[in-house]
Amino acid sequence: MAEKLNFTADPVEWSAWLDPIALETATPEQIAVLEESTPTAKTSPYYLLLVRDVDVLRERSRLYNAIMYGPRGLPRADRELAAVAVSRVNGCVYCASVHIQRYIQLTKRPEIMQRLIDEGVDTELPPRERAIVDFAVKLTRTPPTLTAADLKPLRQLGLTDQEILDLTHATAMFAWANRLMQTLGEPVAVTH
Amino acid sequence: MAQDGVVTLDLMNQLAGLPPDSPLASVRALRPDVVRHTQGSYDKLFAPAELSDLTAVERGLVALRVAALNANVTLLAHYRQQLAALGITEGQMTLFEQREQSVTLDPRMTAMMRHVDLVTHTPGAATPADLTALQASGLSATAIVTLSQLIAFLSFQVRTLAVLTLLAEEA
Repeated sequence: MAEKLNFTADPVEWSAWLDPIALETATPEQIAVLEESTPTAKTSPYYLLLVRDVDVLRERSRLYNAIMYGPRGLPRADRELAAVAVSRVNGCVYCASVHIQRYIQLTKRPEIMQRLIDEGVDTELPPRERAIVDFAVKLTRTPPTLTAADLKPLRQLGLTDQEILDLTHATAMFAWANRLMQTLGEPVAVTH
Repeated sequence: MAQDGVVTLDLMNQLAGLPPDSPLASVRALRPDVVRHTQGSYDKLFAPAELSDLTAVERGLVALRVAALNANVTLLAHYRQQLAALGITEGQMTLFEQREQSVTLDPRMTAMMRHVDLVTHTPGAATPADLTALQASGLSATAIVTLSQLIAFLSFQVRTLAVLTLLAEEA
């Protein structure tokens, strides 16, 4: 294994532990699913590995894109914040790097991300970010212990049921994404 | 499952006990692609066009084990029902739900269940050797991808259902 990387706001690459398919051998169906998954999928070892099960990747990419980019509802920055909090708790350096960058692009608030990188999810945060991170962290760590009391801080911020579901889906999506990234390969430093 | 853009079967509504015309089901319907592809992911994992590298029973037992590790009684009941329809006995299911490392299964199932526990609870502890062990037990690279997607999907399903159930109880 490569040397273990620390959490960072800088770009990170990912290396697969199993053979991704070679793009030249991809079926037209696999190419189509890669193209709709994400713009860089055809050169990404992660997507070229997942496309081995093309039907599951198609559904998973459509679900991911609907959850993270769907219009209205919970602001996209808050979905990215949840993605970062989950990735920080699970220890997914690669996912955290990608979504820290997205959060900063959307909010121009790098200081919130820097605190999460340096101190973890218990760092001091403004009230809205605190409530979102707390909910995402509890749902990540111990889903069966969640109670109505855990919804209260979100309600007090004025979140609607739709926004709470958006937050839930972003959090749950990263339970999914982190597990793939962390158990099929590892983050590596950018080499070029 | 989809006809004229209408999702006819929706497992998450069913498991959360939401009638299709309930307020919470209407909130879910505001994101039709999330509803559709949550169901689609389930369908492609549990009823794929080809079972290829993992059998239906193996898929069901993996799901049962993740539901058990997360203490989700609703999902446990659901996957028990699916496995019963495939001819798995109560005793066999209990073995997988309560499995201790000492219980002997065949090598392939032992390797798979070890991986289920690892990916569910401590994904950050995984190493390349964990995948080598799966390959040594006879799983192809594609089977390992499907197994990983299955465990990861269950991790998503457990969390989504936990909140849906809470919101349904509140309503």
